[in-house]
Amino acid sequence: MSMDFKISVKIVAAESLYKRDVFRSPDPFGVLTVDGEQTKSTAAAKKTLNPYWNETFDFFVKENSVLSVQVFDQKKFKKKDQGFLGVVNIRVGDVLDFHSANFEETITRDLKKSNDNVVVSGRLILVISYSANNSTSSQVRSTATSASNIPSAINSASATSHSSNPTSQLDQSMNNLSLAGASSSYSAAQAPLAANASGSTGTATNGTANAASNRQFSSFEDQLGRLPPGWERRTDNFGRTYYVDHNSRTTTWKRPALEQSESERGQQRQTVTDAERAQFSGRTLPDERPLSPALSASNGITVNVTGSAPAASGSSAVSMAATGATTAGLGELPPGWEQRFTPEGRPYFVDHNTRTTTWVDPRRQQYIRTYGPNTTVQQQPVSQLGPLPSGWEMRLTNTARVYFVDHNTKTTTWDDPRLPSSLDQNVPQYKRDFRRKVIYFRSQPALRILAGQCHIKVRRDHIFEDSYQEIMRQTPEDLKKRLMIKFDGEEGLDYGGVSREFFFLLSHEMFNPFYCLFEYSAHDNYTLQINPNSGINPEHLNYFKFIGRVVGLGVFHRRFLDAFFVGALYKMMLHKKVILQDMEGVDAEFYRSLKWTLDNDIEGILDLTFSAEEERFGELVTLDLIPGGRDIEVTNENKKEYVELITEWKIQRGVDEQFKAFMDGFNELIPEELVNVFDERELELLIGGIAEIDVEDWKKHTDYRGYQETDEVIQWFWKCISEWDNEQKARLLQFTTGTSRIPVNGFKDLQGSDGPRRFTIEKAGEPNQLPKSHTCFNRVDLPNYENYAALQKKLSLAVEETVGFGQE
Amino acid sequence: MSSIKRITKELNDLGRDPPSSCSAGPVGDDLFHWQASIMGPADSPYAGGVFFLSIHFPTDYPFKAPKIQFTTKIYHPNINSNGNICLDILKDQWSPALTISKLLLSICSLLTDANPDDPLVPEIAHIYKTNPELYQKNAKEWTKKYAI
Repeated sequence: MSMDFKISVKIVAAESLYKRDVFRSPDPFGVLTVDGEQTKSTAAAKKTLNPYWNETFDFFVKENSVLSVQVFDQKKFKKKDQGFLGVVNIRVGDVLDFHSANFEETITRDLKKSNDNVVVSGRLILVISYSANNSTSSQVRSTATSASNIPSAINSASATSHSSNPTSQLDQSMNNLSLAGASSSYSAAQAPLAANASGSTGTATNGTANAASNRQFSSFEDQLGRLPPGWERRTDNFGRTYYVDHNSRTTTWKRPALEQSESERGQQRQTVTDAERAQFSGRTLPDERPLSPALSASNGITVNVTGSAPAASGSSAVSMAATGATTAGLGELPPGWEQRFTPEGRPYFVDHNTRTTTWVDPRRQQYIRTYGPNTTVQQQPVSQLGPLPSGWEMRLTNTARVYFVDHNTKTTTWDDPRLPSSLDQNVPQYKRDFRRKVIYFRSQPALRILAGQCHIKVRRDHIFEDSYQEIMRQTPEDLKKRLMIKFDGEEGLDYGGVSREFFFLLSHEMFNPFYCLFEYSAHDNYTLQINPNSGINPEHLNYFKFIGRVVGLGVFHRRFLDAFFVGALYKMMLHKKVILQDMEGVDAEFYRSLKWTLDNDIEGILDLTFSAEEERFGELVTLDLIPGGRDIEVTNENKKEYVELITEWKIQRGVDEQFKAFMDGFNELIPEELVNVFDERELELLIGGIAEIDVEDWKKHTDYRGYQETDEVIQWFWKCISEWDNEQKARLLQFTTGTSRIPVNGFKDLQGSDGPRRFTIEKAGEPNQLPKSHTCFNRVDLPNYENYAALQKKLSLAVEETVGFGQE
Repeated sequence: MSSIKRITKELNDLGRDPPSSCSAGPVGDDLFHWQASIMGPADSPYAGGVFFLSIHFPTDYPFKAPKIQFTTKIYHPNINSNGNICLDILKDQWSPALTISKLLLSICSLLTDANPDDPLVPEIAHIYKTNPELYQKNAKEWTKKYAI
């Protein structure tokens, strides 16, 4: 844009300036600079922390121009820091609307620090006005600057501090969400950090040798130059640099290229979103798909045969009931039975003999559980299975899950002894019963959809705030009714597709680290954890409750979220104790040090007490891990207890309140005792679904250590995986990388705790051992097994039997 | 406070038994921010130079590695123009048993023996490997210009 506009800037006053001297107040004056070229200054006010200048200056600006106002103490102007009292940078285009004929805006901004970090405080008030009539094109330049009393050094000094101030945009856009105060103070707090951390992304090229080497960059530039307008560089809690695009309210790990236009960037974002959506829409759970062909084929079971196996047929009946699908042509109903339809057109069955109703078609049913007041279970016709073998008994766990006791051998099992055992058939079979758990979970009365409809209408581009309003105003009971999502201004009834899109979009928004509610873990750069600093948004607990509700809503209505948490968070959701291994997924460096502590003699090396330190708003606070802990030394004898305590503290610290609010929301839809049938890995799958996994892509981006791709064991490995179903593949991913999430662009983008890490298979371990995994490095240690069967067996076992995200 | 105790101990040890050719200590009253200096090793092109570094201790120290950066410009394949050092013990090989004194000695030996196979500045690493004389010349020039 070559057009210049003439604007008037009235610098009215400043208030609450920083008092640098005890006995006297400064003589503050303001220096206004546009793009480092046009400079004006005010007269100095005398001996005050609240100077009133009320002086007006004219400037010629472009939309991209940056107006910088610096305040100095005239008495100290010849000193090293020139008596610097603060600076305010304003990108003109952010505050001015050039399309309107007249414009006047009063702006109040907090004074910011400059690069040398001298403390500042207070606010600056100015009025920017613009009138279309006054605007001329660009010949006239500032001529008579009142620079007479300013040494020329200041021009160059201020020229380096160009920076637009997108936080103002942020403020406006987020006012509705009432996150405003929070995030602007966040960015302010982060800014000095960001400057330090910029070095870590450093590249070698550097023309302006000496001066640049120690230069601190503002958060709107780095060693490669300025970021595009509206972009900001920030550093997260782990010192990683990321970029905030205030234009689209998104964040990314990649530095934006200047030469790209906003629309190109928009397109790029769109491409990524589409890829994510494609991946997302392929997610399933085992109760929603037929038995995988490989599995049923290898079991030699045809569909008909499956029908005679009660557990399987029961499950298919339940899943059928749940989806409302039914198969015709099963012959007549048993005597005394009648089929009816709900107002929504869903079939159900009335048994006039017992005066009961059920969703389950009696023609497909061999196995029904009815729950009495004390959750006793009655087995309805089990004719085809016959009685349990002698010495066996069926019992219920406290979560009403069926298990079997073999009194002959004094053992228990989840598996029904009347079912054909896969082991008998000498087929390695995947034994975890996630599928059955899901079916059981779904069949619970508390998870039934209530009569009626739950209408949620949102605007696509305001999905977070609209959903918040809509979902929080309804009672949990309302939310259990059939979900009818509508996007404002879009046709289309919600038969699943719309709500799928809704959960997809909403999960991208509410977990967006931009809002400071969640952050990416140190383990990779996509699993999420609660941001311990979320409290900068005073409303954050309401948002966590809302997010909990949304997660519950998704599970309740069988919709997936496009979000994956660190393993420890799923464990916390199940009220499981977090252990040292969980730390690996949260902070790998800390994990290694704790492990070192356990494995080495610490006396005389680590001066630890049973306490922890935390930085709160710049102040270091000591907290006791046990009463009086700060005076109790950690020794080789008690270090195990210390490691346990510090792990718990480190993972749960600072997020107790947030987590509680989250769970309150979640449990309003999903009762705590029901979700406890799952383990933490299964819970991840329940919330996020199981993705379609492309083995070819996986294979293509795998590295080998000690093996060649052509080695037999490696060939077996891939053969084995390609025969598995998606659930097993997902579990192998959880085992080796800590999450079942695959990067949007496939395995080539897999991340480890120290940056990009391709999937790696290392030759390690004895053939009689199980494979081991190192989730930090996306690595599996695969022993050189002797044959395919051995590999298959060991690999299945390792993946199935490993409880928790850590591995022994 | 565990970290303060440990840092204080390291400071005392440094005072009692200072390592040759290095020094380190807090900047002002902030115990978590130190400055250090290293004398260029005699058998290296950095001989005669004095290189300054800044050290920031995390609150989790020594469970987490300190952040160390050169503040004096140096021509080296493993140290970039921002002063960042590519050294495994500052990253995934960090161990709580390491101390500032040990780290500084490791950095000294990195000055004598660069690791061009894991470079932070590929251009310098390339010269280091293919034209040692030019590397020596450049490193000496930079030392003279910035560190003496």
